[in-house]
Amino acid sequence: MQLTVLVLEDEPPVREALTRDLGGFRDTIRIEAAEDVDDAWAIVAELDADGDRLALVLADHRLPGTSGVDFLTQLLDDPRTVHARKVLVTGQADQQDTIRAVNEAGLDRYIGKPWDPDELTDVVRDQLTEHVLEHRLDPLPHLRALDAARVMPLLRDRGDR
Amino acid sequence: MNASGSGREPATLVALVIAPAPLGSAIAEELRDGLQDVAWIVAAGSVAEAREVLAGAGRESWIGVVVLTSGLGPIDALVDELETDPGLRSAATLLVTDRRVHDDLAHAIDRDRLDAIIAVPWTAGTLATHARSHLARWMHEQHPDDLRSRALVTHGGRPLQRPHSELLRGLELDPTEVTSRLLEAIERVLGPRPRLRLPVGVRLTHQDVGVDAVLVVLQGRVALSRTTEVGEVLLHHDSTGPVIGLLALAQQRRAFFTARTTTETEVVHLSLEQLDRAVSTEPAVGDALTAVAIRALAERLRRSEQLQVERIRLNRDLEDERQRLATALHQLEQARLELVEQARFATLGELAAGIAHELNNPIAALRRAASYVGDDLSTILTSHPQGELVTRAMAAARDRAPSSTADDRAKRRALIDALGDRALATRMAAAGIDDPAEAAALAAQDESTLVLVEAAAGIGASVHNLDVASARIGELVASLKAYARPDLRPTEGVDVHQGIEDTIRLTAHRLRGIELVRRFGKLTPVRARAGQLDQLWTNLLVNAAEELDGSGRIEVVTDQLDEDHVRVRIIDDGPGIDPEVLPRVFEPRFTTKHGTVRYGLGLGLAITRRIVEQHGGTIELQSEPGRTVASVVLPIAGPPDDRGS
Repeated sequence: MQLTVLVLEDEPPVREALTRDLGGFRDTIRIEAAEDVDDAWAIVAELDADGDRLALVLADHRLPGTSGVDFLTQLLDDPRTVHARKVLVTGQADQQDTIRAVNEAGLDRYIGKPWDPDELTDVVRDQLTEHVLEHRLDPLPHLRALDAARVMPLLRDRGDR
Repeated sequence: MNASGSGREPATLVALVIAPAPLGSAIAEELRDGLQDVAWIVAAGSVAEAREVLAGAGRESWIGVVVLTSGLGPIDALVDELETDPGLRSAATLLVTDRRVHDDLAHAIDRDRLDAIIAVPWTAGTLATHARSHLARWMHEQHPDDLRSRALVTHGGRPLQRPHSELLRGLELDPTEVTSRLLEAIERVLGPRPRLRLPVGVRLTHQDVGVDAVLVVLQGRVALSRTTEVGEVLLHHDSTGPVIGLLALAQQRRAFFTARTTTETEVVHLSLEQLDRAVSTEPAVGDALTAVAIRALAERLRRSEQLQVERIRLNRDLEDERQRLATALHQLEQARLELVEQARFATLGELAAGIAHELNNPIAALRRAASYVGDDLSTILTSHPQGELVTRAMAAARDRAPSSTADDRAKRRALIDALGDRALATRMAAAGIDDPAEAAALAAQDESTLVLVEAAAGIGASVHNLDVASARIGELVASLKAYARPDLRPTEGVDVHQGIEDTIRLTAHRLRGIELVRRFGKLTPVRARAGQLDQLWTNLLVNAAEELDGSGRIEVVTDQLDEDHVRVRIIDDGPGIDPEVLPRVFEPRFTTKHGTVRYGLGLGLAITRRIVEQHGGTIELQSEPGRTVASVVLPIAGPPDDRGS
């Protein structure tokens, strides 16, 4: 089982830049990119078929058709995605949208465009760590993508079993 | 000679008595005594019977007086019956009654149809006198030239119309005449009174000071004024009256006014004691004084009534003026709002122009840098041992056609199947290698080669992205410049489609999630202020987008309406505008039924309409649920006001 980060972004150069900036996680974490909400759901289905787990979604807020915020809200209604952590990456959200994302979609973080690559990787590492801790997953296979110090107690506990 | 002036026998003058038998004969008898020299007395038990008698007479009758009595039913009904007959309608009506109370004649009083009410028993002769004087008046009004009119006026040598009493006669006399009679009467008691000659400006009474004497003004004029919080107010001049101080007697002998001569004046001074003596000794003084006082009061009352009417009229004028001012204020406020909005737009325009200008250099640098990186790298790579491989990988990434994320995944899956290693396949796919054979070949080489290919592909993709991004910024800047251009004068050859495209590009953030359909016809370029047209398209597109709230469809349809006009329609499939609100959406600002001010829509459309009108065009908004159409028609010749300038 691989933890997966899904990037939802409609502009190809931005999508490429995001996935490339996440290149450091590539060996440990499955990185997937979708250009719209339909494709994002196709990826969810593929993950399910492959036995992988959606751990984190980085979504732009403006997308053709359904908005990123709507997609993040939809995640809560599907058992395959309900546990995924949610980060909004956008340069256009106004206050109203952000409030809605926080209140309705249970948004975990907000990253403004243009982003700082170090901040992006920090946020992703932090969110993946939270995900592992929250669901008491075995940290070992994902350790290189996690905050080792924080998952150490979890490792010890599991070692004790 | 009769009234009509023809040679026929004159009409019979009739006094009609309508009464039950015994009372009727008594009345008729008295009338005969007093009127038979001029009138035929007809007695009847009812109006109908009277008509029969008159019709049977065989010649024309003038009915000048009708005497009714109680006991014939309600007086109102009787009078209404008289009204139906043209011959009776104008007659003077006298009511003879033995009742103490009447509650059956309100209508008759209201319509002024009762001229006298005489109680039974009456003093012998008075009924005839009444009838005669009313007949005389009637003749005088209806047939003034008839000989009988004059015969009626005098009876027993005395004019009928003159009152007997000194008081009533005094009221009818000329004011100077009454004054001199008053003085005559006074002097009969007090002996000759000295005339006092006074110049202009002498005060005869002082406001709020006790009055001990009255002054009879024989010549000249006196003004009455009073000092109030708004200064000294002139209250009477023409309406002063000839005896100064008289009315103060009714006010605890305090003068309400200051009386001041305005011309040279001749007066007679009478102390209150002298006046008292004259009144108590000679009754004519009292009558004359009362007549003078009533006349003065009447004058002043009339003046005060005129003032009241004047005041009401002024108030109404004031209210009208207030309304006009309120309207003007409202219009000014709207104009100010429009100006503010315009100024805001102008400022934004300048800002946009500035930004566009400033962005040009960095864009140029970006575009050139992307190309230089590629060139320089190619140079370096010629000496690199694996230069050819790296150059190929770089060029492939740079020139790769755009593909969907789903396609990318399908290619990657093929690689995973071929290589059997997901991580490796993912790296290959990211490096732009999608041919499984090529991937297998690369996998056979050592790790450093793959790393090199990944880096080269990364550079290629970055150069490509730099190109795409700078080109996009370039387009945005071009649109911004076009959008923000100053519009002092209309320019020829404005491409309406270009303006719409620029606007769409710049309002893209408001149109996200909305399907935008262009159905452009072939349009002749127009003469217009291009920047204003851009503002027009912006307002209409943003309004439609707000209507849709993030999902739906906007159609922009253009066509050549006729050889002189182009038409642009912006159609959305939103919920539509409330029909109650629709007629007012072009007002600068209006309040919806929920009490909220729809500032944006209102002001935006107000400006939109103004722009269209300034271009000599028309705008129309039609809306129903699911279809709202904003239709703008523009003349190709452009704004009419400075055409050809």
